[in-house]
Amino acid sequence: MFFHWLEKNPFFFAVMTFAVIAFAGLIEIVPNFTEAARPLTTTTPRTVLELAGKNVYIKDNCIACHSQLIRPFKSETDRYGNYSLSGEYAFDRPFLWGSKRTGPDLHRVGNYRTTDWHENHMKNPPDIVPGSIMPSYKHQFTNVADIETAYAEAVTVKNVFNVPYGDDIKAGRKAWEAYRPKVLEDAKKVAADMKDEGVKKMIANGKVPEIVALIAYLNSLK
Amino acid sequence: MQSNAALEYDYTVAKMFTYVTILFGFLGMLIGTTMALQLAFPELSNLIGEYGTFSRLRPVHTNTVIFGFTVSGVFATWYYFSQRVLKVSMAESKFLMTIGKIHFWLYFVGALIATVTLVLGISQGKEYAQYNWWVDIVIVIVWILWGVSMFGLIGIRREKVLYVSIWYYMACFLGIAMLYLFNNASIPTYFLSDGLGSINNSVSMYAGTNDALVQWWYGHNAVAFGFTVPIVGMIYYFLPKESGQAVYSYKLSLLSFWGLMFVYLWAGSHHLLWSTVPDWMQTMGSTFSIVLILPSWGSAINMLLTMKGEWNQLADNPLIKFMVIASTFYMLSTIEGPIQAIKSVNAIAHFTDWIPGHVHDGVLGWVAFMIMASLFHMAPRMWKKEIYSKKLMGIQFWMQTTGVVLYFTSMWVAGITQGMMWRAVDEYGNLVYSFIDTVTVLHPYYTIRGISGVLYLSGFILFAYNMYKTITAGKELTEEPQFRTPMA
Amino acid sequence: MTIQEIQGYSMFFMTILMAVLLYWYIFYLYRSEKKGERDFEKYGRIALDDSIDTSPVEDKLASEEDRRIKEQN
Repeated sequence: MFFHWLEKNPFFFAVMTFAVIAFAGLIEIVPNFTEAARPLTTTTPRTVLELAGKNVYIKDNCIACHSQLIRPFKSETDRYGNYSLSGEYAFDRPFLWGSKRTGPDLHRVGNYRTTDWHENHMKNPPDIVPGSIMPSYKHQFTNVADIETAYAEAVTVKNVFNVPYGDDIKAGRKAWEAYRPKVLEDAKKVAADMKDEGVKKMIANGKVPEIVALIAYLNSLK
Repeated sequence: MQSNAALEYDYTVAKMFTYVTILFGFLGMLIGTTMALQLAFPELSNLIGEYGTFSRLRPVHTNTVIFGFTVSGVFATWYYFSQRVLKVSMAESKFLMTIGKIHFWLYFVGALIATVTLVLGISQGKEYAQYNWWVDIVIVIVWILWGVSMFGLIGIRREKVLYVSIWYYMACFLGIAMLYLFNNASIPTYFLSDGLGSINNSVSMYAGTNDALVQWWYGHNAVAFGFTVPIVGMIYYFLPKESGQAVYSYKLSLLSFWGLMFVYLWAGSHHLLWSTVPDWMQTMGSTFSIVLILPSWGSAINMLLTMKGEWNQLADNPLIKFMVIASTFYMLSTIEGPIQAIKSVNAIAHFTDWIPGHVHDGVLGWVAFMIMASLFHMAPRMWKKEIYSKKLMGIQFWMQTTGVVLYFTSMWVAGITQGMMWRAVDEYGNLVYSFIDTVTVLHPYYTIRGISGVLYLSGFILFAYNMYKTITAGKELTEEPQFRTPMA
Repeated sequence: MTIQEIQGYSMFFMTILMAVLLYWYIFYLYRSEKKGERDFEKYGRIALDDSIDTSPVEDKLASEEDRRIKEQN
């Protein structure tokens, strides 16, 4: 008998088990893959500075408490804005929907918070939102954001996944040196709205503090 | 090859994993308790700068508990019971013994380094899959070594039939291997940009909605194949052995095995209800979550019925208490999960504290209880010593059970309160509460959870102490106890 | 045929196949026990009689020996 034989042959038993557990993934994930990968016509890839900000978001693991997914309920669209669409995430690697809202959703935070608000809030959240249980992220004002890695990321997704970045984003140190001033330019624009002296000093020295990259990223969430 | 009278089971590797299980259990729970207190008293989040914030600690907590405590518990029990039900000693194969030791050391050193990377904030950003690409490679090698060791031992077995626990551990091996490889597939950016930036950084192979699907197909089933499947295998061995009663229905255990294997994987998309994945996937995840009650309760009822006619043991053997309450918590969380997976319930429950509440009645009440009970059962047989103190074990049991109950009850209330407040509207249809209102209201529940964490952690310290004293100062046993674990 | 259709059909037939397999399995378990071909419940003893000097419920070496003898005849 088939079952009798199966129970005594570890190898074929393992193959059978694998087939049974792999089946669900094949049916659920594969068929919709191409469709779900398509961006909206208005969705653009993030700039290098924003990517660096996204990496700060991941490093400090904001996802532990903040979602980026507005569900199609009136209570959510009233609170956060339009509900999220699949195509808006097409360039997000990884996706950052999160699974817990200890703090509010951030998917469209760029629509209703400003650079200045974020600057003060990240220093000490309860000062801005009394009763807030969010920790202070002062270290982001002194840590340097890794814009080179963000650039490397842009190059990678452009070459591997055909993400529509311009021709000036290409592999190699030379290309990066040529591109770097553009990132600094973007950073300067963000820092212009900030008050922190340390941040201004770092920008003047050609360094981008984490907070500047993070705010650029948060402002891009619309 | 006749069985040799002087031959004995060799527990060297099982012992090493036992120590590490206790170490990671303590670390994981210590961090968890700290985090629970941080939510109640946020000042605690800023004690050690960027390395001590709630957000930075969270992956350290989850990964230490999953890949540190649970997985090493699974390894420890595997290296113990597999020899016994296959009736073959590891001492019979030099090769397997060496593989076992390499498996342990690579795992241990790898786990320590991995923990440090998370504290430093080196992360892939996907929940329960934060380890970056080169840590992933080490993990894959560790897993392959376990596979070699597992199938090697099965290959030289004397018992022809594979006991059902072996089935479950094999499924754990296969399931995690498949899920981990697919979900962690990523491209290191350093190599594709001619050496720019950090070597640690990588981008996921999938983007947006696809990434979400793959991630929760993984996330949900890492729970399935890490927290359910091997633990069910564990109880199918340790409960019968400790009570002296054979499994109530061996046939039912086989049926629930195939049921669990087939149904579990579909349910992953219930983490994405009301998101941007297609409706039919959400419905499928929801439906299969309900179906999942059947095989889960099939196993749980089978365990409880195993005690039929022997319920008096529940009163006088604390280990039976641990195992029976573990299967009860298993029943609780496998009915709670499907309820949360109903779309209308999920609309309230998702994103709230009810979800961590659900996770923790499963992991604290079911997984950790079973692992601790199994280690207690193994200790006298591995070190040939009596358990140091039955009384301490009893105290530990009540402290931890109270801890779990406080945890999930407070989080039920917190979750439903918050979920209802988010959607509350006044007579004109305007939102009643601002977001911060729904945070401050949770303070009492967060405090209760902090207390529950302290209780559970203290119980775990008692467990560690009891184990330590057993190993160092327990009364010597002259012969191996057959069923009930001897304790002073 | 689009991938959705292939998916639909494979979902449908696989589900039927799995259901048939499951019920066949239940039927097989109980029938073989009723006919006295196999006793599944005795496997529950594997966990209980697990010291190294007790004899296995079904000896792997012995059954391989049996097969060899059968093949020779």
